[in-house]
Amino acid sequence: MILTQNLCKRYGRMAAVQDMNLSIAPGTVFGLVGENGAGKTTALSMLATLSTPTSGRAYIQGFEVTREPRAVRRCIGYMPDAFGVYDDLTVMEYLRFFADCYRVDRRLVKARADDLLERVRLADKRDTYVNALSRGMQQRLEIARCLMHDPAVLILDEPSSGLDPKSRLEMRTVLHGLRDMGKTVLISTHILNELAEVADEVGILRRGELVAVAAVQVMVQHSSAYRTIRIDGRFAPGELERVLAADRHVVDVHAADAGWNVLYAGTLAQQADLLTTLVQHGMAITQFSEQPTDIEQLFLRLSAIQEGM
Amino acid sequence: MRLRINPLLAKEFHQRMRTARAPIVITSYLCGMSILTFFLLYENVQGQLYLVQPTKSQQVFVLLSLLQMTVVAFLAPAFAAGSVSGERERKTLAVLLTTPVSPIGILLGKVLSSSALLVLLVVVTLPVYSLVFLFGGAVPQEVVSVLAFQLLTIVVISTICVLFSTIALRSTWSTVFSYGTVGLMMVVFGALGYGLKGLYEQNPIDLFTLSWSHFFYALNPLYVEAALEGAVSAEPSIWVTFVEFYAVAIVILLVPSLWRLRPQWFSWLPFWSRSTEKQYQ
Repeated sequence: MILTQNLCKRYGRMAAVQDMNLSIAPGTVFGLVGENGAGKTTALSMLATLSTPTSGRAYIQGFEVTREPRAVRRCIGYMPDAFGVYDDLTVMEYLRFFADCYRVDRRLVKARADDLLERVRLADKRDTYVNALSRGMQQRLEIARCLMHDPAVLILDEPSSGLDPKSRLEMRTVLHGLRDMGKTVLISTHILNELAEVADEVGILRRGELVAVAAVQVMVQHSSAYRTIRIDGRFAPGELERVLAADRHVVDVHAADAGWNVLYAGTLAQQADLLTTLVQHGMAITQFSEQPTDIEQLFLRLSAIQEGM
Repeated sequence: MRLRINPLLAKEFHQRMRTARAPIVITSYLCGMSILTFFLLYENVQGQLYLVQPTKSQQVFVLLSLLQMTVVAFLAPAFAAGSVSGERERKTLAVLLTTPVSPIGILLGKVLSSSALLVLLVVVTLPVYSLVFLFGGAVPQEVVSVLAFQLLTIVVISTICVLFSTIALRSTWSTVFSYGTVGLMMVVFGALGYGLKGLYEQNPIDLFTLSWSHFFYALNPLYVEAALEGAVSAEPSIWVTFVEFYAVAIVILLVPSLWRLRPQWFSWLPFWSRSTEKQYQ
């Protein structure tokens, strides 16, 4: 179980995390989504006892992170965003070393390591040196390392970052397996779709603030219900905004890079109608294309929905 | 409860001792010392009527032990100066700090592992020293005290280097500070002691200069070792000053080292602010 109450972290005047209130039930896989610099790593490092909250409280399995850091360390497995490995150890030695750090009963170490290597699909690499593993394999090994002392809570900071599509897929399978193990997992990422199959709940972090928490399916539905359209061309001042304002499916319009990004909630047919309308108004459209969704836009959509309710 | 070896120590032993490098270094060093000892002893007995010449044999013992002290003192930073900063550069330190191994445990493991090979180098030369016994000149107690002092110096230098490695963040700076410290201990303190002694000899009533000369001499491992061997005249307790000074230096360096590893431990300090806390992992 992870609980935070008004958790804040400030670096001088800058607030990296502001009033974060989070409650993650045991056995839940929770995804923390946000752009780079949103405060994900700071939030996770406070939970991992690596940095101290400026104010507020955080509890892991009932232990407060600043008052009982030792107890917290025993019940978490933490995988940082930028991690390193001991290159000149074999996979088995690597796991054994961390088992020793956690004082795991030596009689259990081998069986547990074998089981975990099986789960992270590295069973055939147990005697391979860590430096001979690919980046994706090393990241899966890190997951196994986090589990060596059988913690109740896993804190994974961008576990899929820097991986190729195949490795991402393998990592997703491994993360899926964590849910079956009944662990409470907190995963940070800047790619929402990565969490769609893995997480139960998702929280969106924006400039240090947790702006939305919802079940992952709800998030994905919202994400697919709205799309961003990029419009470039030559228009009379204010004309485009006037035409767009008349379309009830347009949620938001903002200028970007000498063009316009339009948040649109209509169907593809309605989208085509909009283009026709723009052309009928004599606008010289040079680009009218759908753009990939990013977290910032998703946040705007959710805000728009909440404001409309 | 079963006694468990420090996990870092066990890991580093594993890593260092299984490569060919460790036995090659030890064998080369032992061969070098053996050849040198043989050469020095041969030089001493050549053209002499008697094989056993305690005074000359004593000189061989002093020369060998001082040489060994110099070698291990300058080798120590090579093993210890990158120990913690290397973990930081490899990005393994953050994970280590989220395990139940305390920062003290991490530092202890690093000190022991980085001094282990040097300790081994000193211990393997014991049979070479024992050759000196054959020709008289050194008694076993002397050899034991010299050996113990060499081991102590290795641990002291390794500890200082590991602490610099924690404070300096980067291995380059840590190496600079570590070699600077060894230079200070081995050369500067000795030179200061010698210079002040010279001043005192010009003005024998200036006891203040003499006491500072003794103090600086006591901080120089070569001088203390020579004193233990009776090669120079010094107070028998000169090594106590050595131990006290470096113990204080280590405690002073330990504070910023722990600050680097676990700044939260200093939250009780009045000037400590959570908003200025940095992560050094």
